[in-house]
Amino acid sequence: MKYLSNRILNKIFERFMWIGLLVLIWIIAVLLGDFSPLILPSPYKVLQALLKGFTEGILGKQILISIVLVFAGMSIGTLIALAFLFLAVSSRMGDSLVTTLTAVFHPLAGIALLPVVILWFGTGALSIIFIIIHSVVWPMVTNLLMGYRSIPEPYKIVGRNYQLSSFKMFFNITLPGSFPYILAGLKISWARAWRALISAEMIFGAVFGSGGVGWFIFSKRVFMDTPGMFAGIVVVIIIGVLIEDFVFGVIESRTVRRWGMSL
Amino acid sequence: MRFLTILSISLIVFSSCSNNKSGDISVTIAEQYGLAYAPLQILKEKKIIEEQIPGIKVNWVKLGNTAAIREAVLGGKVDIGFMGIPPFLIGWDKGMDWKIFTGLSKAQIGLVTWREDLKTLNDFGPEDRIALPQPGSIQHILLSMAAEKYLGRSDIFDNQLVTMKHPDGMSALLSKRDVAAHFTSPPYIMMELSEPDMTLVVDGKEAMGSDFTFIAGMVTDKFSSKHSDSLSLIKSSIAQAGEFIMEHPEEAVAILKKDYSIPEEVLLSYLTGGGLVYSPEVEGLPKFINFMKDKGYLEKTPENIDEIFIEQDIK
Repeated sequence: MKYLSNRILNKIFERFMWIGLLVLIWIIAVLLGDFSPLILPSPYKVLQALLKGFTEGILGKQILISIVLVFAGMSIGTLIALAFLFLAVSSRMGDSLVTTLTAVFHPLAGIALLPVVILWFGTGALSIIFIIIHSVVWPMVTNLLMGYRSIPEPYKIVGRNYQLSSFKMFFNITLPGSFPYILAGLKISWARAWRALISAEMIFGAVFGSGGVGWFIFSKRVFMDTPGMFAGIVVVIIIGVLIEDFVFGVIESRTVRRWGMSL
Repeated sequence: MRFLTILSISLIVFSSCSNNKSGDISVTIAEQYGLAYAPLQILKEKKIIEEQIPGIKVNWVKLGNTAAIREAVLGGKVDIGFMGIPPFLIGWDKGMDWKIFTGLSKAQIGLVTWREDLKTLNDFGPEDRIALPQPGSIQHILLSMAAEKYLGRSDIFDNQLVTMKHPDGMSALLSKRDVAAHFTSPPYIMMELSEPDMTLVVDGKEAMGSDFTFIAGMVTDKFSSKHSDSLSLIKSSIAQAGEFIMEHPEEAVAILKKDYSIPEEVLLSYLTGGGLVYSPEVEGLPKFINFMKDKGYLEKTPENIDEIFIEQDIK
């Protein structure tokens, strides 16, 4: 336990150091660059705009909406990806179907699907969740399959020797054996989902009345509130880093690192 | 590798030199999509500006929305931009150094719905989504004016807006799904209203209570102070192109048709139907300023109209 918290504390310290350096460069650029505040506002102005977003605006609620949407999309997307994995490892036909689907849809950017999604699902939360699912499923399937293929052959042979059913094989051999890849898949999916969500929100507009962080950035843009726009971008970055460091960091140190199987 | 680097650097240096040496004026003009911008199309095709100002280099860019034009102007990439008056005012309010120098068009713009139950703004519930280009656009401000006029609250629809470019908004409306209504401008408003079941809930003129300039031309102070003679020639070119469309609509259609997938006779009916008037006059400026200041979209108002408008006679 002590080892774990030290690791995380170290990580926080390093993060703050580098981020502090970036902010310093930002301050120097503002001081020396003679930029119009409409192009590059000072960090202080951005901080003010951020606080204003919480006190006068509804930024807190908007962040919550974004996070709820992304987790809804990710959970459904992960379940679908697991179903695809099950299909792929159970039969040869299933495998060729799943790899073909992945080859067809993985390169398709969620935003490119937008016009179709609007026609099919309209412009509400459903469409945004659909786009998140799309951006989660394919990288997840790719990673899961890679993980499955990386499982040492003896594990699978042992499973077959025990005459495990497809289900048991899946839950007792496939899943634990490919866990590092699943985790990597989750990380990639999270980053993709978060990006897809912000871009979809910036295009669709408000969802559930007040919209999420993407809509916050967009509405600051259209009213030329540059510090507010930067504040929204800072929020997107902070949430990204927090999830990466804490959620995935903790999962990683409790599982694959402890098992000695990190990638 | 080194050879390539030297080559590319010398090319860049050479090309920038050749730009600077000639001393000719170069102007970059940004426009958007829609029939309200038709005189610019005519200017471009008939090279009227080049004819009026020998040696001028005119670059045209078409951008998807007004925010992009403002950002391009801020970045120094665009000298003259065309947009609605409200987004211009927002830019000015935030400290952009630019002014209106000409009107371009007056147009019928309005809120179109496919739903039979939505006869007036009163019938809209909080779930009925309204598509328009973006908050702060002229469409949004006119919708707010109408909301203020009929419902007493200008921001009542602000949480049910869907931001869409006109063509996307039109397909969302025509698919009759969750977009209840679309606040749009020509030719989309005409195309939508010619479909069955589509009705006009309210239009801009009704919301505003008077005629108003839909699209106007803005110029950076940097350009206008340096090239005021050219600017007035550009203004008169714009007026000339507008007159050409009004007086010779058939010829204009022949030029415009390649940019729209609309049959020629339909396009002609749009130009002559009265929904579009091309004029360098600027109307409705004070009304927009007062409303937007009143509703908090602007923090300041100009003390003198000179701060935002370049009065220039057409030569």
